Amino acid sequence: MGRGHLSLVAVGLVVAAVLLPATGMGQAKLRRAGGFEVQPAYTAGFLRLGKERGYKVALYMPTDRIVIFYASRTEKSKDGSFKVLYSLYAVRNLGDLEHGVVRARFGSLGRVSLRFRPNGQMRKRDPQSGCEGGPEITEDGRFVGHLSFRGEGNYFHVSSAKGQAYIAHSPRLRCEKGQALESHPRSLRKHVAPVPLFPDEGSIALLYASARSHGRYVGITAMHQGRSSPGADVQLGIVEPRHGMAIGHGVYLEGPAGTLLTSLPGAHPATATLAPPPPFYGEAAYSEDSDAWTGTLGVKLAGLSLPLTGPGFHVHLCVVNPLRDRDGCDFFKAEPPPDE
Amino acid sequence: MRMRQAAVAVLALLALSCLPGNAWAKVGRGRPPAKQWIDIELEGSNGYSIHLSVNPRRHLILQVTNEGFSAEYMTRDVFADADRVKAKLLGLGKISVRFHPRGPVRHPSLPGCGRKRPTVQPGVVRGTISFVGEREYTQVKVREAEAAVEEPMSWRCRYGVRFEPKPREREWVSKFSAEEEGAYFLARKYRPGVIEGGQVLYLAETGEAFETASGQVPLTIYRHLSVPALASTFRDTHPEHLTVSPPPPFSGTGTLTRTPESVFTWGGDLSVQFPGLDPIPLAGPSFESEYCLRGSGCIR
Repeated sequence: MGRGHLSLVAVGLVVAAVLLPATGMGQAKLRRAGGFEVQPAYTAGFLRLGKERGYKVALYMPTDRIVIFYASRTEKSKDGSFKVLYSLYAVRNLGDLEHGVVRARFGSLGRVSLRFRPNGQMRKRDPQSGCEGGPEITEDGRFVGHLSFRGEGNYFHVSSAKGQAYIAHSPRLRCEKGQALESHPRSLRKHVAPVPLFPDEGSIALLYASARSHGRYVGITAMHQGRSSPGADVQLGIVEPRHGMAIGHGVYLEGPAGTLLTSLPGAHPATATLAPPPPFYGEAAYSEDSDAWTGTLGVKLAGLSLPLTGPGFHVHLCVVNPLRDRDGCDFFKAEPPPDE
Repeated sequence: MRMRQAAVAVLALLALSCLPGNAWAKVGRGRPPAKQWIDIELEGSNGYSIHLSVNPRRHLILQVTNEGFSAEYMTRDVFADADRVKAKLLGLGKISVRFHPRGPVRHPSLPGCGRKRPTVQPGVVRGTISFVGEREYTQVKVREAEAAVEEPMSWRCRYGVRFEPKPREREWVSKFSAEEEGAYFLARKYRPGVIEGGQVLYLAETGEAFETASGQVPLTIYRHLSVPALASTFRDTHPEHLTVSPPPPFSGTGTLTRTPESVFTWGGDLSVQFPGLDPIPLAGPSFESEYCLRGSGCIR
């Protein structure tokens, strides 16, 4: 079986990871009471801002307290493999989404001051299975007011709030234990943290390099699944705070043959080289002997050029035999989340 | 006339290879009940045994065997009725015989078949039987031979060819297989004492079909080879690196290696020589390979 290309489903997962909060899978801080739990009422909103220089741009409010600018780009290469790049900018909503008001500042990058104008179209959705209460009501419409946002390095520039929009209100629900939706994090940083897209289960070679410096987290993972053709799935996540804002950048791609080369299981010192395709450049090498992560590897994202090697990186390398370690590498179970 | 490799044949071979020439009969589900078979025993040159049979579906199968080797030549280009058989084996031979009963009808008991005793009429066939294997690895030419007409009670309970399964051959501890269109290689490793002649059983199979311009397949040939060998010929102590070097009629070495890309590749100069044929390569990038460790799983 060859290596599966990053499917549209997978691409959809990335988009869903950031859009689901805006479509009603909302905030639900659970309170346990006997065999039941409560899914609190919440309000979420979404504004589709179209495409800018290849990026799909949107503004979404996963809760009434958080506003996120979202830009993503999906590329399909000639060999059919996919690449997804995204940037997220999360700030606090100073307005009141319950009443259709979104007001937020994105530092020097932009600001929004918007009011929702419903167009009269409404959709109702019954509570999910195992929950009871009123339906979720979604109002379609548009936002009016001021919106300006300039992506770092000017990779996109939006100055109009034109676009389809909606606001969804979900009432408080009483749910059977385990049926309430998971609550959204309060932390801005958690809203822009990378979501693992490629499953690490079944990977027989996995390299994870991460660095934390001055509040910035950079993590790159490359993994090869058993029974796959040559190549490796690569994902990069960058999270940093800036002036009351949390910024997340990420890349998911299917690297061709030569992306990840490792020593064999049991070999000492274990070694690896990583040379993913653009937007990455250069190559990095790891040696268990010196525990060093060296080389010229870096990434060029819109408005951001970042080296990905150096003494600040901690590297984990896992190379297993699929017959001896049937579950493959599972670093992420042991790895602390990037938001801490 | 052009030849094509029988792709599907090799897949079927694994199941068929452990059966004698009339293995077609085994897959009898959904088919009409077994009726009349004609079996003819012959002696080929160079120590080969030849068994010729015509099954109720009017397929003629000529099976050549010698120790671990067997080859089946099957044609549907057959005229057969109750006591006559006429067939051609595309450049390899022809059969034109009439059956003459000799002696009383028998109902022999067969192990595992209970009361399902077949009806066997012994006799002789007279006429012409000629067969010359590829590059004359064996041949036979007779005008009379011992034969029998048999009506079995079921597909499995045949007197003419008895199938003796070796259930312990399933007790492998690790195995490796590689296949491409028309060729299949299998190596099974056992604990000491499970099989005779060593701890490893090597099998190779090929299948080919001869097809006419009109799409008919007048002749299909399956070849099967089975050779036991010592454990030292199957080195898989390090599961990232497997090497097999089976004894003749195999030659060379095949190696399964995990590359720095963590991809398993199968290469080497391993080949097998079937009687009458040039050596057939059994390793290379065109082969799909699989290594399995009992209780742990498989890697491909």
